[in-house]
Amino acid sequence: MNLTLSTEQQQIVDAVRTLLTRHDAPGRSKALLATGGYDHELDASLTEGGFTGVIGGDGTGPLEAALITLELARSAATSAYAAGEIVAGKLLGANPGIPVALTRKPADFPFRFGRHARLMLIDAGEEAQVLDLTEADIQPVDTDQVGWPMGVLKTGVAARARGLGAGTGETLRRWWRLALALETIGAMQGALELTIRYVKDRVQFGRPIGEFQTLQHRLSELTVIVEGARWIALETAFRDATPLHAATAAGRAAGAAGLVARECHQMHGAIGLTREYPLHLWSTRLGPLGVEMGGPAAHRRDAAQIRFSSQEIAAREAHWR
Amino acid sequence: MDFDWTEDDIAYRAALRRFLRDALGADWQGYKGLNPAAYKAAAGEFCRKMAEHGYLTQSWPKEYGGGDAPPWRAAILSEEIGSPHGEPRGSQYMNVNWIGPAIMQFGSPDQKAFFLPRISAGDITFSQGFSEPDAGSDLASLRTRAVRDGNDYVVNGEKIWTSHTAIAEWLFLLVRTDPDEKRSKGITVLLVPMDTPGLKVNQVLGFVGESAFSNPVFTDMRVPVANRLGPENGGWAVVRYALAFERIGVAHYRHAENQLNGLAREANARGLTDDPAVLAKLGEAWEAVEAARLLYFRVVDLRAQGSPPTADSNIARVAGTRAYQVVAEAADLILGEYSLGGSGRSRFNLTAGITSGATEIQLDQIATRHLNLPRPAVGARD
Repeated sequence: MNLTLSTEQQQIVDAVRTLLTRHDAPGRSKALLATGGYDHELDASLTEGGFTGVIGGDGTGPLEAALITLELARSAATSAYAAGEIVAGKLLGANPGIPVALTRKPADFPFRFGRHARLMLIDAGEEAQVLDLTEADIQPVDTDQVGWPMGVLKTGVAARARGLGAGTGETLRRWWRLALALETIGAMQGALELTIRYVKDRVQFGRPIGEFQTLQHRLSELTVIVEGARWIALETAFRDATPLHAATAAGRAAGAAGLVARECHQMHGAIGLTREYPLHLWSTRLGPLGVEMGGPAAHRRDAAQIRFSSQEIAAREAHWR
Repeated sequence: MDFDWTEDDIAYRAALRRFLRDALGADWQGYKGLNPAAYKAAAGEFCRKMAEHGYLTQSWPKEYGGGDAPPWRAAILSEEIGSPHGEPRGSQYMNVNWIGPAIMQFGSPDQKAFFLPRISAGDITFSQGFSEPDAGSDLASLRTRAVRDGNDYVVNGEKIWTSHTAIAEWLFLLVRTDPDEKRSKGITVLLVPMDTPGLKVNQVLGFVGESAFSNPVFTDMRVPVANRLGPENGGWAVVRYALAFERIGVAHYRHAENQLNGLAREANARGLTDDPAVLAKLGEAWEAVEAARLLYFRVVDLRAQGSPPTADSNIARVAGTRAYQVVAEAADLILGEYSLGGSGRSRFNLTAGITSGATEIQLDQIATRHLNLPRPAVGARD
């Protein structure tokens, strides 16, 4: 047991942070949001910097891909890295290097990255399906409530999807849950860090509002929740996203997403509701992430069915008692 | 980063389980129903067996007869020894977790020579005299007064919520030695035999579990200066040192998980797992247990690397408390009206956020030490 990053892992985290700072990921996302754009430049930089192909790389794997995903989400990057690197990387054997969208049957609701998606992976239950896409296949969805470009498939497009074979549905779901947990946790970290900085600076009643215990306790509680979720997600990556770990990680993250977004907005007051101030970059992603794949209750039911089957209880209670 | 146990740790856990099964029996039901003398004898016998097998003070340095075991071994021991039926060491877990280490750090040669071998052998029981009627979370405002008189301190005042007084021979007592120094600066630790004249213990009945709380009252109680642990007015450093060990001394997540296993068994038996709400709540409680486990492990990991105590221990403690609370919600959902008989219902739901430092104090610590928020004008100041 060793919960400290290795030197190599720390170097990866430092390098992706440097890239994201240099790239001004939050600033670019704010600009892209206005036009419904996608950060192709960032994806190119990630490939150039050696941050793709990590999940099946030499001496790297899901944990390293997880660390990169957390940093991207923490910086509010507008990239489908998690879906391409983690989900497609595991389901198809390699990161396809094009924007990947994830959805599930009946595949008739809005999906992230909308018209920019060139490949879609669909959870069809027993099997996963894959669908090649062009811009003509996708109807953009105009929304100011969601922090990504969104789209829906035009009529008849989903029928082109090819099945990947029995059992691939489970593979898709567990890696999707890991990716979803990581993106959610990174976004919660970004929102929470911004809020902690804000309450230290914002003066009311003659003192920084971060001095008020009513805010301190809430921020401490959020920290406990986000840190716990982060560790569960990291262990899930380490465990190759077993169905139980993946559902646990996704449930923990999705279950906290709405609370973190709401609390961060509440502590910011009206400034947080403006387009100039960046909080919306994270907060308008937390809501959608919280409902993806059916939301926390769906993750939790799946986790409970595995963890609390009679056999599993008996196995885990095998003990001196 | 590696979430797997080493081969050595796996073997250690297996051997520990065999020891526990042999020492307690596979069907151990706890010490419930025993009178204090019988409880003390049973816990003492178990601790002596632990000592014989090198488990009792495995984490202590070799120079004090310990095994120099790394922090991960202590974590495994905490996981395995936590039983739904109670703590088989009784109150002696405090001895090895923090009283012994505090004596090693601050004790005189005579104190070390007297106390450490007795703790190591499982032959001594302490009770903890910290809180007072007007000094709970605000421990530094304590007022029990000790006045130097020759080679003695004369102690007057009272404590409350003092545990294990019915079986303890010794009291780990915080007193105020300098009334002019405000708060933490004038506090001293005294190690007091429970049969000292002038010490009277009143009982305060509790409704949680079968325990009573104690209210020791001190009337001109004389304690030799030689029984002082650490310097006069230097007791706060001793307490901080001791509490840093105390906070993750119990694997709360494992207790919560044990409760949850029992509830899930019940839900399966009664066919309640067809109810999506029951399943979702079980899953939510499982998440909370896992979060608490990993946050606790993070503290062990920091300690294994030789890090000084950080607010990570407060984060772990709050996560443990929250885990009990979600498990209690699952219990209400699954047991429903069946929970209305018997004793100990949702016991940890009520106590977890209060014992060994109220949740609000933990949250203060996280805010100021982990998030580096400004210290509030009102609130915890020490």
